[in-house]
Amino acid sequence: MSDFALGPPFSTRVEAALKDTFLQEALGIATTKFIHLRRESFAGFAQGEALRDQARTIKEATLQQLDLHLGRLADNVERLGGHVHWADTADEARETVLRLCRDKGVRMVVKSKSMATEEIDLNEALEHAGVTPVETDLGEYIIQLAHEKPSHIIAPAIHKTKGQIAELISAVARAELAADPEVLTAAARIQLRQKFLEADMGISGANFAVAETGTVVLVTNEGNGRMVTSLPRIHVALMGIEKVIPSMTDLIVFLAILARSATGQKLSSYTTFVRGPRQPGEVDGPDEFHLILMDNGRSRQIAGTLREALYCLRCGACLNVCPVYRQIGGHAYGHTYPGPIGILLTAMLKGTESVKELAHASSLCGACKDVCPVRIDIPRMLVELREQLDREKIAPAGERAVFKALARVLGSPAAFRLSAAAARMLQRPFVRDGRLRRLPLLFGRWTATRDLPSVAAKTFSERWKELR
Amino acid sequence: MPTRAEFLERIGREVRKTPGLFRASAAERPPRPQQAADTVRRQLAERRPQALERFRQEFERVAGVFHRAAGPAAVSGIIGEIAREKGARELVSWDPASLGLDLRSSLAGHGLSVIQAPARAPDAAFRRRHRDDAERAPIGVTGADFAVAETGTLVLTSGAGRPRSTSLLPATHVALFRAAHLLETLEQLGVMLEALHEDPARSMSGAMINFITGPSRTADIELTLTRGVHGPKEVHAIFVEEP
Repeated sequence: MSDFALGPPFSTRVEAALKDTFLQEALGIATTKFIHLRRESFAGFAQGEALRDQARTIKEATLQQLDLHLGRLADNVERLGGHVHWADTADEARETVLRLCRDKGVRMVVKSKSMATEEIDLNEALEHAGVTPVETDLGEYIIQLAHEKPSHIIAPAIHKTKGQIAELISAVARAELAADPEVLTAAARIQLRQKFLEADMGISGANFAVAETGTVVLVTNEGNGRMVTSLPRIHVALMGIEKVIPSMTDLIVFLAILARSATGQKLSSYTTFVRGPRQPGEVDGPDEFHLILMDNGRSRQIAGTLREALYCLRCGACLNVCPVYRQIGGHAYGHTYPGPIGILLTAMLKGTESVKELAHASSLCGACKDVCPVRIDIPRMLVELREQLDREKIAPAGERAVFKALARVLGSPAAFRLSAAAARMLQRPFVRDGRLRRLPLLFGRWTATRDLPSVAAKTFSERWKELR
Repeated sequence: MPTRAEFLERIGREVRKTPGLFRASAAERPPRPQQAADTVRRQLAERRPQALERFRQEFERVAGVFHRAAGPAAVSGIIGEIAREKGARELVSWDPASLGLDLRSSLAGHGLSVIQAPARAPDAAFRRRHRDDAERAPIGVTGADFAVAETGTLVLTSGAGRPRSTSLLPATHVALFRAAHLLETLEQLGVMLEALHEDPARSMSGAMINFITGPSRTADIELTLTRGVHGPKEVHAIFVEEP
């Protein structure tokens, strides 16, 4: 499954990312810009904090009656003439789409940006079945042409230079295009407009689905969400079950904070409400609408450690502020969902084992929790994941032994005093300018990529004793 | 594949395993949405000039172009001017009842031919033709159900005579709205959405609602803001004063 991580191990991927000078620069610029836009947008928005609390409460309330809301959503989608499909696993979700393609003679599919379809590797499955999938979000289109994976939840191609993008789009245009975003966007518009008009099926995700009204809601800036849901004769929306919310009043609470958190906009250019297929009297819209409700590991976390991760809106704000993401970018994480929330979502979808390294790819600084529109306590869950890895003996034996020893030292004042004194002696040959830059033996792996402050001449408790 | 019953049964079992993280309830909805909507409209009536000014500011902030027509008769002049600027000779529009205005003859005076969406259920061949028309037309003219000042947003519901493609396929979208469509906040829009859905059979004939907040845009290439990716490159809003 979507582990492009099956190749090199995490440490190698990180090393590659750290050596990629363009990636380093692009990440720095992009994440800093997103942080700035978000901050400005909330600064002039007095009700923002209260809305975040309310949004969090709505997500929790919905989870407490998730079965009821899903049932209501399905009833209302069907009342509007749509079809509802249920998928426990990624496999079942893929099979549902493929069966629809087979039954309806679908040869080309246009897709608007959807993390849920990334999650189940839908494009590969479609290609394998002889159906051509075309990504239409500009960033996703670029990534598809390059045969790569997205590196950011909302800006999938931030790791590509305009020069690289010019080559990709020029190859389709069979003309040499300037490395100018205006020119390239205009060319992509022409290339993709043709696809929208020719495609048999449009596939979207869902940012929200309103149970009371049977409405699937898509938030986009480019308008690809509108195209995909309006032009092809069939529209299929694939959504994780946690995307359902009760009412239109709830929806407005989320809309007021989602775009602000993601891009600093008050609203994205387009918020699109899909109420089933084309209704009587309408000139346009699809003949058929299908909604696939996908579990894929989510429901077992309703009562699990990762429950709060089910609140996630996929805004990407936690990626931008994460000191780890800002250094290594999305690809190094090796899974569909990168960044701090990505670690939790990966554990949710693929099991704890799959994040035995990633669970430590966080400094637990808490910046992610601060910016999360629904205040998901990501650090708490990362710590719980680490505990679980230790308890279930998934973490490497060496790591578990070191932490066990550390726990003992930190748990006893006498042992702590003794070890501080010992460390002061032992560190002497290795201290330079007050830092430990290169340690021998097992510790060398730590200092290969980072340094440590040396153990102080006096510990805090020693100084405290003197001060008193 | 699981059946609906199996699927929901399993979710239900998981839900009942835990009381949840804290006591929580969803947002409080207006108990009588139609009345709540009427109340909003009534209260808004005195603040309309300020709401309109705020809408103009926010709409321009998201790169929209704002116009003011001193009555329905002035609309065609504004559209004619936009068309001249684009070198456009034809446009697609919602049907006259949905626009609240028949532009065909007045725009003919500006050398513009208007393809109007039909108000009654069209057959497949017609639908196809209308899509091609919209795809070819450089300008699409629609009405709007709401104009939200807080965010500079136009809200359009689709339906008979109100194709979704009119505001999507042409490179320039022109939307007409009146004082009665103005709202101040997203919260008020929430009340209106509840009211629309209270009895959708009566209040909405179509399958789509779009919030349009400025032209189509992207920053996917090195974070450079570019307009007109898939949807319109320009969005114009014409505020039509009552005669």
